[in-house]
Amino acid sequence: MSATTRPGEREARPTGSAEAEGGASREPAVEVVDLEKTFPAPGGGTLTAVDGVSFSVARGEVFGFLGPNGAGKTTTLEIVEGLQSPTAGVTRVLGLDSHRDRNRMKERIGVQLQAGAYFDYLTLEEILDLFGSFYPRQVAPEALLDKVGLLDKRKALVKQLSGGQAQRFSIVASLVNDPEVVFLDEPTTGLDPQARRNLWDLVQAIHDEGTTVVLTTHYMEEAEFLCDRVAIIDNGRIQALDTPLELIHGLPAAYRIVFATHQDVNDGELAALPGVVEVASPANGAATHELRVSRAQVTLPSFLDWASGRGVEVDDVRVLPATLEDVFLSLTGRSLRE
Amino acid sequence: MGKLIVSSLKLLYRDKQALFWALAFPVIFAVIFGLFDFTDVPDVDIAVVVEEGSPVSEGLLDGLGEIDAFSVTSLRSLDVARDELVKGYWDVVLGVPAAAPGQPLLLFVLYNETNFETNQFAISAIERLAGVMNLQIAGVDPPPVAVESRGIAGKSVEYYDFLLPGLVAMGVMNFSIIGMSVAISRFREQRILKRILATPLRPVKFLTAQVVARLALALVQAALILAVGVYVFGANLYGNVLWLFALATVANLIFLNLGFAVAGRAANPDAAQGIANAVALPMMFLSGVFFPTETLPEVMQVVVRYLPLTPLIEAMRTVAIDGESILRTGPQLALLGAWVAVSFAIAARNFRFARA
Ligand SMILES: Nc1ncnc2c1ncn2[C@@H]1O[C@H](COP(=O)(O)OP(=O)(O)OP(=O)(O)O)[C@@H](O)[C@H]1O
Ligand SMILES: [Mg+2]
Repeated sequence: MSATTRPGEREARPTGSAEAEGGASREPAVEVVDLEKTFPAPGGGTLTAVDGVSFSVARGEVFGFLGPNGAGKTTTLEIVEGLQSPTAGVTRVLGLDSHRDRNRMKERIGVQLQAGAYFDYLTLEEILDLFGSFYPRQVAPEALLDKVGLLDKRKALVKQLSGGQAQRFSIVASLVNDPEVVFLDEPTTGLDPQARRNLWDLVQAIHDEGTTVVLTTHYMEEAEFLCDRVAIIDNGRIQALDTPLELIHGLPAAYRIVFATHQDVNDGELAALPGVVEVASPANGAATHELRVSRAQVTLPSFLDWASGRGVEVDDVRVLPATLEDVFLSLTGRSLRE
Repeated sequence: MGKLIVSSLKLLYRDKQALFWALAFPVIFAVIFGLFDFTDVPDVDIAVVVEEGSPVSEGLLDGLGEIDAFSVTSLRSLDVARDELVKGYWDVVLGVPAAAPGQPLLLFVLYNETNFETNQFAISAIERLAGVMNLQIAGVDPPPVAVESRGIAGKSVEYYDFLLPGLVAMGVMNFSIIGMSVAISRFREQRILKRILATPLRPVKFLTAQVVARLALALVQAALILAVGVYVFGANLYGNVLWLFALATVANLIFLNLGFAVAGRAANPDAAQGIANAVALPMMFLSGVFFPTETLPEVMQVVVRYLPLTPLIEAMRTVAIDGESILRTGPQLALLGAWVAVSFAIAARNFRFARA
């Protein structure tokens, strides 16, 4: 699959193929019901990190958690992986309880930890070989390294890798047991755009082999690009869960019409145009104006009529789709990265 | 499991810096303490003040001069001599007053009270000399009773012979308490422990591999320190080295347990390093690595006797210096055995593979 596939084109694939193979008896890859996790708060009292989260991930899906720092992404993931115990609720992976059936579950999942490292003094090959030996079924280290273009680095130590290479290694290290579900906690945080792009290709390649991928991210482009479905999480709660396209279409203003003019315009007249939800006037006299509209094809002709009728010279007119950033903003009233 | 142990060994021997210091540290101590010369009889500086020369005072000065450990200086003024004694120039001042006819010659000795042992030695030597002179003057010459003392050639225990087992024990202790706690704490900080927990490997296997690797490498360390001690510093080793290794391994279990306990309590590797040092350093200085524990105040000896490093060093000296079998170290082995159990309980209480 090419790296430029848009999310919408992929929607049909995952659930369909999984169901066709395994039939109705196949459990979902991940099932979480009414999950809750509290920690003792630093100043006394309790901190609710995960507050009643339920979702399920179908086999073959790429499922993403999008949310700001402290939203509860890592906590949710680690409970599902059996690394932390829940305060309440049930988590199952491949039909196995994350805690009661932990050992059998672990054999079939792959885990990449947020900011996790590997042994300082073992080579890439040795690390993969060692971790592989923990599982009944093991993929050859060379095959894994080849997959991420690190075969020539197999005798290197992790500290001798670049940031992007190290991150690729840490993903491939979660594949030593050819898992059915992999969990990637912020696989691209801290990487430059090119390295991030590179990892997106890797995640897609993993997905193309039929592996279910559950990932977390701060980046809406990443969620939009990679994920079949996205759960927007904030303050320990899932605020919305759908395909990226549906999330955006669900917004009252799914598009923005952006234009520039040096003349004075009357915001009231713009707001009265059909389909306009909101007018964002430029701050301190800048030239760029923005209309948030529900359907661009309705508003655009009226807008152009209005401009020629009023003799307003508009320049640089663009219609932009809303993003998950806008979804987040409209759900929480805050921007994703503030 | 085999792969895990091999990997753990690789992690240890590839960390060249840590490995270097594990060896260099005891050797540095060997060099520093080798600079002290502990083998000489105490050297006594004696000032003699003779008020009026006489054949008796001459004989006395000659007699003192013949004693090797004394360096004798004649002074004129008793006041000056006393002042200088107070300042620490002299260990002993011997006053020889003018002889009054018909009266015994009353020698008097001033000594520095802070230096008890040296002075007991000096005073008894002077008394003996006076006794011999009395007999001579009384015309009993040769004296009716004489003692001929003859040294039997035995083995001579030099300071290095004494120090070497202590250094081996200290090296093992530091390598394990400090090394293990810092390593585990670092694994935790790097989330390697959590990563292991995400695999089907049982955590106890991972820890066992760590322990086995460190037990093995500690023996290599012990062997190297012994080799340096014997071949570089000329220490004598009278006992069986294998017994020493056995003792080191038993005690190492204690130190590794303590290392785990420290790792369980420490928030990060730096904290682990600090806590581990706080555990190891007092033992290093109290448990008789460098000096016999008998030189400690008695109250402290009572406590120090029960620190785990103390019975290890005692047992090692019994083997290394006295050439005894490990079977002759029963009380020490019992104490070490008890410590293995206690330290395991401490580790189990304080160490968790995963937190929260
Ligand atoms: N072990 C812990 N003890 C106490 N509080 C914790 C613990 N782990 C997480 N928390 C708190 O729980 C909340 C959720 O943390 P979590 O790590 O799940 O967030 P996150 O969404 O992964 O954030 P980030 O994007 O920064 O990784 C935070 O407020 C965090 O401070
Ligand atoms: Mg996180």
